[in-house]
Amino acid sequence: MVDDPGSCFTGIIYNSFLSLGRKVKVVMSYTFKGYLRKDGSAGTRNHIGIISSVICSSTVTNDIASKVDGAVSIIHSNGCAQLGDDFNVTKSMLSGVAENPNFYSNLLIGLGCETNQVSGLLATIDKSKPIEGFSIQQMAGGTNTAAKGVAIAGEWSKEITEEKRMELPISKLTVGIITIDIDEQKLKAITPVVSALIDTLLKNDSTVVSSLTRTLEPGGDYLAEKAEDMRAKVELRTLSKGLNRRRWESDKDYALRSFSAEERSLAAEEARLLGSHRLEGLLDINEKPGGKGLYLLKSSENIVESLSNFASVGCNVALIVSADGVLVTSNVIPCISIAPQDDSQSPRDYVDIYIGNDDKEQQIAALLEKLIQVSSGELTALEAYELGEFAIPHIGTTF
Amino acid sequence: MTKFYGYRRPDGSIGIRNHVIVINTVGNLSALTRKVAGLVPGVIPVIHHGGESQFPEDYVQTLRTLVGTAGHSNVSAALVIGMEDDRIAQEIEAALIEKGKPVRTICLNCNLTIQEMVKEGKSWLSAALENSKKETREQCDITELIVGLECGGSDAWSGITANPSIGAFSDMIVHEGGTSVLAETTEAIGAEHILASNAINHEVGREFLTIVRNYDRRIKETGEDIRSANPTPGNMAGGLTTLEEKSLGCIKKGGSTPLREVISYSEMPSEKGFVFMDTPGYDVESVCGLAAGGAQIVLFSTGKGSPTGSPIVPVIKIGTNPKVYEIMSEHIDINAGKIIDENKSIKDIGKEIFDKVIDVSNGEKTAAENQLNQEFAIWRLAESI
Repeated sequence: MVDDPGSCFTGIIYNSFLSLGRKVKVVMSYTFKGYLRKDGSAGTRNHIGIISSVICSSTVTNDIASKVDGAVSIIHSNGCAQLGDDFNVTKSMLSGVAENPNFYSNLLIGLGCETNQVSGLLATIDKSKPIEGFSIQQMAGGTNTAAKGVAIAGEWSKEITEEKRMELPISKLTVGIITIDIDEQKLKAITPVVSALIDTLLKNDSTVVSSLTRTLEPGGDYLAEKAEDMRAKVELRTLSKGLNRRRWESDKDYALRSFSAEERSLAAEEARLLGSHRLEGLLDINEKPGGKGLYLLKSSENIVESLSNFASVGCNVALIVSADGVLVTSNVIPCISIAPQDDSQSPRDYVDIYIGNDDKEQQIAALLEKLIQVSSGELTALEAYELGEFAIPHIGTTF
Repeated sequence: MTKFYGYRRPDGSIGIRNHVIVINTVGNLSALTRKVAGLVPGVIPVIHHGGESQFPEDYVQTLRTLVGTAGHSNVSAALVIGMEDDRIAQEIEAALIEKGKPVRTICLNCNLTIQEMVKEGKSWLSAALENSKKETREQCDITELIVGLECGGSDAWSGITANPSIGAFSDMIVHEGGTSVLAETTEAIGAEHILASNAINHEVGREFLTIVRNYDRRIKETGEDIRSANPTPGNMAGGLTTLEEKSLGCIKKGGSTPLREVISYSEMPSEKGFVFMDTPGYDVESVCGLAAGGAQIVLFSTGKGSPTGSPIVPVIKIGTNPKVYEIMSEHIDINAGKIIDENKSIKDIGKEIFDKVIDVSNGEKTAAENQLNQEFAIWRLAESI
C-alpha cells in the first residue's frame, strides 16, 4: 500500500495498477479532483473564457483578460470574410471551446460588423454556464467594451474563488492525445507505456480522443479494423489511400498524393500507441464524441490548431507525444508533454515525462499519476511557463 | 515637393517608425515569442500560427509576408525565433542582413532551455531597443512614401464621403511622385471593368481583370456565393445592399490616376503611382499584405467603426459619417462626415488626409497606435495539412 495524502492516486489504486497483465481482477477506482459542472462534465481547470468572435476584437479581448484574475484570452485570426465550411469551422470551434468544462463562464467580445456575429454564437452555445456577449460597436468603442467586460468577468472572478475541487472518477476525463514530430524508432520506445495508459483509461470509462493527423492517416486500414462504425471504417480506408486536403491553386482537384512505405510504417506504430480497445468513431473537426471510449478526431499537424480542436470537442486534459517536446500548449486544457529519454541530451525543462528503459509498470504508474495530478490542478511545464495559445484551422481561403 | 522626416535605412528605404520587433517562424513558437516580447517594454510582438503544415502556395506566401514584415523600413531591428534548421528563419535573416538591418535569430535546439532562450532574447532586444533610440529622422521626399488604401466596416456613406476623399488623397500623392496601393480584390467584384478601363495599358488592365476573375472562380469552387459573406451583416446595417454597390464605393479610394501595376499579396510595387495589390477583403489580412509589401502607412475608411491596426505600420482611420466619428472617436483619426454636415468638399477632406499622412509620417501617433491595436494575420490559401 502506498499512502500519499497529497495525491488522489491512492494505495488501492496503485496495487491494482501493478496487477496489469497478471490477470488479477481488482476493482479500480481512480479519481482526480476536478470541478463538477451542471451538465455533468468536469473541469480540470476553472478558467473564465474571454472569447473574441473576430480578430478585430482581439486587442479588447486581451485587455479584459489581462485585468481579471482567472481569465483566459481566446483570440484568433478568423471571424470575417469567411464562407461555407471554413466559416462553419470557426463558429463550431468557438462554440465548442466556450462549452469546454474547463471554463466556469464565458464572455464573448465582437466588433459588430463581422460575419461571425456574437448573437449567432450566443444562440448556439449551451447555457448551463454563465455566458454574456456584446460588441465594440454596440458599446461605442473599445474603452466602454473593456470596462463592461472587466466588470462582468470581475464578478465571475470572485465567484470562482468560492469553487472547490471535488473527488471525481476518471471516467469524467476526456483525454486528448496527439503524436507529433517523432520518428518510428523513438515512438517505439514510448508505445508500451502510453498504450497501457490508454487501455487503463478506457477500462475505467474515460474517453480518449486521438488526433488523426497526416502521420496517422496512412494507418487508416489498420484503424478501420478496430472501428465498429461502418461510416468510420469506410472513411478511414479512404483516408489511408493518400494525403487529401483542400486547396485552390490546383483547380478543382483536391490535393492528393499516396503515402510512402515509411509513412505507413510510422502510422502503424502510432496506431499501436492507442492501445487495444475498439474505436468508437471518427470525428470531424470540432465534433464532440457521442459517448465514452476511444475516438479519432480529424486534425491538422499544426500543434496549436490541434490542441484547440481538443478543447472544442470537450477534452479536459491532453497528452502530447513528441521526440523532443514542443514549446506551445493550449490555454484551455493542460497538456502533458511526453518524450523518449535520450541519454545523450540533458532533459528539457518543457517536457513533463520522459519514457526510458526503466521498469515499464513503474513508468505506466508514474504517467497515470502525472495525469491525475495535472487533472487535479498541478501545472504542466508548459503551463508554468505560460505558453498557452489558441488557433482555429482554416479549411478554406478567406474572401 | 512635400517633405517629411523619416528614418533612412542602409538599403536606402525610408521608415516612418523605428520599431524593434520579435517574430516567430512557426506556430509552435508563437507563445514563446509573445513571452519574450512581453519582457522588454516597447518591443512589438509579431505573432502568427502558420509557417508549418502548409501547402507550398501557403508556405511561399507566409514566407514572403514574414520577410516583408521583418525587413520593413518601419522596423529598426528584428529578433527571429525559429526551430532548429529553420528555412524560414534562415531566409528572414539572409534578407535582413542583405538590407543591413540588425537581426538576430534564436533557434530551438537541444542545448537551450526555455529560460536560456528567453534570457538571450531579452538581452538582444534590450540592446536593439537602446540602439534604435540613437537613430534619428532626416528630411525625405514624399516620393519615398507608399500608402496602402483599405476600407472596413463599410456603410452606405463609404462610397460618398471617405472613399472618394481617399481617392482625392491618392491623386495628390501620385501627382507628387509617391505611391498609393489599393487592395481588396473581393471588393472590386462588380466594378472591375471601371478600374480596368483606367489602367495605364492593356496588359495591366487584363492582369487586373484576371485576378478578379480568379477570385470569382475560387469562390464558385467552394460552392458558395460570395454575396452570403459580403456585404457583411454590419455593411447591411449601414445601408449597403449589394456587393456591387460596396465595390463601386470601394474602388473610389483609387482616385483618378491610371492604374500602373497589379501586384501579388505582400509584394513590393516596382512602379511609383497608383498600384493594386491582390488581397482578400478581410481587413487584417489585407493590411498585413499591404504592410509586408512595403506600405509605410495604411489609410482605412470605416462606416461602422473598426479599431484594428498593424504591428508595424500606422493605420489612419477615416470615419465615413459624423455619427461614427462621434461614438467611435477613440478609434478614428479623421471625420469625412464633415462632407455631410459641415459643407466640406471631397477635396477638402482629401487635403486633410494628406496633411495627416505627413504628420503621421513625422511621428504623430494614430488612434490605432494609441489603442495598441497590433493585429496581424496572413492570408491563407489552402487547408492546413
